[in-house]
Amino acid sequence: MANIAGKTDEQLIVEKHIANFHKGFAYWPRAEEAPPALGDSRWTQDLILATWLMAETGQVPDNGLEYKIGASGGGFDVLDFNIPSQDQWLPADTEIDLSLPLNRRDDGAQLKINIPMYGGGMSYGSISEHVMQARARAAQHLGTFTSTGEGGYPPSLVPYKDHIITQVATGMFGVREETIQYAPIVEFKYAQGAKPGLGGHLLGDKATDVVAAMRESVPWVSLFSPFPFHSVYSVEDHRKHVDWIRTTNPRALVSVKVSTPTDVDMVAVGSYFAGAHIVHLDGSYGGTGAAPEIAKKNIAMPIEFAIPKVHKYLVSENVREEVTLMASGGVRTAYDVAKAIALGADGCVMGTAELIAIGCTRCSNCERGRGCPFGLTTTDPLLQQLMPADWGQQRIVNMYNAYAIQLRDLLRKLGLKSIRELRGRRDLLRYVG
Amino acid sequence: MPEHREAAAGYHRYHIPTQPAPDIEKWPSRFKVKVRRSGLAKLLIKEVFHYRGRKDVILSRPCMYGVFSGPVGGFMPREEHCVGCLRCTTEFPEFVRIEHNPERRSLGDSYFTFNYVDQIAYEASSGLVPVRGAGYRGKFGGEGWDGMWTDMSEIVRPTRDGIHGRETISTVVDIGFTPNYLEFDPSGQPTGSTPHYLSIQLPIVLDAPQTELAAGVARIYARTAAELDTLVVLPFEYTTGLGEFGDAIVPVVRPEHARRLGQLGFTPRIIEMQGWDEALYAAITTAFPLAIVALRTGFEETDALVSYAQRGIKVFHLLADYHGRSADGGFVLDLIRGAHTAFVDAGIREEVTLLGSGGMIAAEHMPKAMICGLDAVAVDTPLLVALQARFGGECSARGASSFRLPTDLNEAWGVQRLKNLCASWRDQLLEILGAMGLREVRRLRGEMGRAMFMKTLEADAFAGLLGYTEASNG
Ligand code: SF4
Ligand code: SF4
Repeated sequence: MANIAGKTDEQLIVEKHIANFHKGFAYWPRAEEAPPALGDSRWTQDLILATWLMAETGQVPDNGLEYKIGASGGGFDVLDFNIPSQDQWLPADTEIDLSLPLNRRDDGAQLKINIPMYGGGMSYGSISEHVMQARARAAQHLGTFTSTGEGGYPPSLVPYKDHIITQVATGMFGVREETIQYAPIVEFKYAQGAKPGLGGHLLGDKATDVVAAMRESVPWVSLFSPFPFHSVYSVEDHRKHVDWIRTTNPRALVSVKVSTPTDVDMVAVGSYFAGAHIVHLDGSYGGTGAAPEIAKKNIAMPIEFAIPKVHKYLVSENVREEVTLMASGGVRTAYDVAKAIALGADGCVMGTAELIAIGCTRCSNCERGRGCPFGLTTTDPLLQQLMPADWGQQRIVNMYNAYAIQLRDLLRKLGLKSIRELRGRRDLLRYVG
Repeated sequence: MPEHREAAAGYHRYHIPTQPAPDIEKWPSRFKVKVRRSGLAKLLIKEVFHYRGRKDVILSRPCMYGVFSGPVGGFMPREEHCVGCLRCTTEFPEFVRIEHNPERRSLGDSYFTFNYVDQIAYEASSGLVPVRGAGYRGKFGGEGWDGMWTDMSEIVRPTRDGIHGRETISTVVDIGFTPNYLEFDPSGQPTGSTPHYLSIQLPIVLDAPQTELAAGVARIYARTAAELDTLVVLPFEYTTGLGEFGDAIVPVVRPEHARRLGQLGFTPRIIEMQGWDEALYAAITTAFPLAIVALRTGFEETDALVSYAQRGIKVFHLLADYHGRSADGGFVLDLIRGAHTAFVDAGIREEVTLLGSGGMIAAEHMPKAMICGLDAVAVDTPLLVALQARFGGECSARGASSFRLPTDLNEAWGVQRLKNLCASWRDQLLEILGAMGLREVRRLRGEMGRAMFMKTLEADAFAGLLGYTEASNG
């Protein structure tokens, strides 16, 4: 019998549900039948369960779960790799390099990440502090980054500051001199794929005392990050933003996060000429935060179409080798990452996959009532305890470990020694739609 | 008060007042919650022992939405509260199962699928824009509406208004005739054609079924249109007794009504002819010389539209069936483009107004239809769904579809549901316009440059890949 003496009811309640969750996350990926109401065409039952399994074991699923593609009927789901015959594979013991330099210019720090992925912005308030900590610690462990999103920089993240990107968005929540100075990378969020052109919105219910303090706002009042930056109407204006960051922190790399309009190629080139080190394209089908359904489905183009458009244009403008192109918005699996790179990106920015690793069922109830019932996208003091940061950290690390195994295996079969050699290799892809 | 002050004092920003209007007919729940009772009983016994009777710990259940909060808890789950979060089945996989409810999924028909029904039910009951977390859950692109995305303005375009300007984006559209240019005589007086149009506050016209209408429905439609400052297209027979809403009513007349036009209890501002008929046209223009005459006809007539315009018709209400198909099988999105282009090619697009009905069943279809060339959408089946109509099988043919409305339909509820729906759709339109940086919806019409089509994008992105041919994407 468990030791319950000396524990409060709240402690016991939290322990009880955590134990149940962990049992369920281990049970379902191995069960003969998936939970019937789980999944959708983008994140199928198999993809969710495979992610849970990878997050638990750190290994590639070997029980028949489909972990490579979803069932959306388009984009990454109609692409596959042309794997050559086995005699052309590299030997099994070949060292395959997954590292990616993020700075291709001759100014700023020469940063490199160990895997071609980092965590996308999810703000304090839209996710719990535990989730932020889990992501930051995982980024440190993996030798990559995670982004604050636009909600402030909780003091508990400062120990991981070398792995945290400070996001500057239109609401400027939590942007301070010190959070710019901490940052190895500062990310300007001009737009985001889930709600392109619409800005951000934190519902009043989530603006608790602590969240409001972090954002220097009034508790329980909804917060808007308006669209767009009204100080930026041209590439030259954007340059001012870059200069502002450089003045505050000359070492920092500047990333520009944009959505995918028809002229996304022009936007990318403009960002480069304004001084960005990283152009981060956020396609329309992704996102973790609350967004109007009409925006998620209908505004701006999916990332699969934006990447080659931008890559080609950067090449034609002779600047492709001076800028790092990161892609996000519907990148769900290691194979999606590889496909994005083969289409022309350098690497990917991940969001939903990390949340699924730590227990998200993609039920879309993040904004309902007290927030996520699994303790992820919530500021409810009791609920957020349901996802302990150390557990979450390990799950995220494990998932990326399983991704790394898959990427190395794929590259070896494609005869490539480095993930960097995959970039723009459309010849290695085939269309299976 | 000086005149300009008076005008300013009289100004009010257009706004649709919304308020909750919950369902009056109980629809099947979205999920089935199946709890094996023996499993639950065992758990309770185990936890009583384990937690030594600490009630709050024992009774702490996974569901935060009240499904297990009835008098007997999980032994009789209250399925109607289930939002499908799957926490219960994650915590207790051995005895809890959550399934989609097939009864709920059978609402609507093969075109107006349950997802659209769910969406409309939410919009009509709340008046809100549907907002959810965790990204998009649907298929990648697709056919028809789903193969089209709208543009947004990124950092280097100076015309955008964004969220700050959203409140001042105009959704007013004009219905009627505007000449391509004005002509004046030497004294400066206008000669030739002068504008003849009316303005409505949102690009939504209510289109009532032209078949039998349940009691009270015409009144609900008419009052809603009047309160929204828009129009309702009603069969001639159902306009009786609705004179108080006359300014909002567009009676649909057929040749047999030619001699009964005087029986209308009001002077219509706009009147719709069901199909072209020379004699009827003459009768209408004689009876109501100031009215705008619209032609209600199928998209199949696209080739003849320009000639009707030359005969005096300046407003065209074009119909596809309820599934968005024309008699020759075309889809409404392409049909709209065809009609729009016909007028552009004839050089008179600015002179005419195009309304369209059929297959436009979600908020997103409205801006897409306008980008393809409509001035406004005449909404049909979504209004019935907002009133909780149940489909009697497949409902595609306009004259042969059966919808069953709730028996206890009442006017106040019905009007609020329709107003909520229109408010939600208008707000969603504002999201699209805000993202594009457009200040007024009239600029959306025919803006094909602000649309992205899956076929084109896929060809640009994937052409040259092994296995990709033009035929791959249809
Ligand atoms: S509410 Fe649902 S979709 Fe949102 S984070 Fe939690 S589990 Fe995921
Ligand atoms: S799925 Fe979620 S909402 Fe439904 S009964 Fe289970 S815990 Fe409650």
